[in-house]
Amino acid sequence: MKPEDKAWNSLFVHGASRIRPGFPDRVLRATRAYASSPLFVSHFAMCAATAAVCLLAVALYNNRSSVEEDAKSLAGWNDVAAQAGELDTSL
Amino acid sequence: MDESSTIALGEKVRRAQRGDEAALRDLIVSYQHRIAGFTYAITGRSDSVEDISQMVFVKMARAIDRLKAPEQFESWLFRLARNTCIDHLRRQKLRRIFTPFAPEHENVPEPAGSVDSEELDALRHALDQLRPKDRALLALVQEGRSHAEIADSFKTSVAAVKARLHRAREQLKQFYNSDET
Repeated sequence: MKPEDKAWNSLFVHGASRIRPGFPDRVLRATRAYASSPLFVSHFAMCAATAAVCLLAVALYNNRSSVEEDAKSLAGWNDVAAQAGELDTSL
Repeated sequence: MDESSTIALGEKVRRAQRGDEAALRDLIVSYQHRIAGFTYAITGRSDSVEDISQMVFVKMARAIDRLKAPEQFESWLFRLARNTCIDHLRRQKLRRIFTPFAPEHENVPEPAGSVDSEELDALRHALDQLRPKDRALLALVQEGRSHAEIADSFKTSVAAVKARLHRAREQLKQFYNSDET
């Protein structure tokens, strides 16, 4: 065995010695905890859904108010047109 | 690894893929020390070996069902470990840019008694001066992974692996010898 190989071997053994007993159980516990926590994807989906609902509400409100506004303006113009018509015939 | 142990390993991996927790536990028990040694070779910090190894095995447990060739589990696991270590070092570097440590907290030495021989100490210091990717390459070869396997894992050619390995070995030798003198 070359001296470097011996040193590499000691390096691996030293690293391995840092693992405390019960490591596999800790990993399995962490895996289960990780699995039960919501994923980034689901957080992102939740944010996207909320943003979509808000946008939809704004668009609906805007559409409704502009329809009402148009109806009001049209009624006003109708009055003006009727008055102009009356004025024309009286002259 | 002989043929019968490859078959047995493949079977264990398939069981783990089907959600068998005992098989998953067996895999962790079989590889925990090798992964810890490998992690230490790349990061050079014995105080973070267990945390990084845990991260490697959690990633393994979460991704094992996507492994298409269970017989190649070992090289897949070491690739996962290599990537986790390199990510860890990258994150650590980034963190230090945004929250720099006080001078006394930079390069905290290994705890006393953690390095048990001069050779190991020299190798550790020499490795410390290499790029993390070169350290990982040397550690993979020392772990017994073939050039073809490494080339396949990192989507490169065997010739490129050999060239990088040669360069890394030369650098290591240089730093190792300068440490010893």
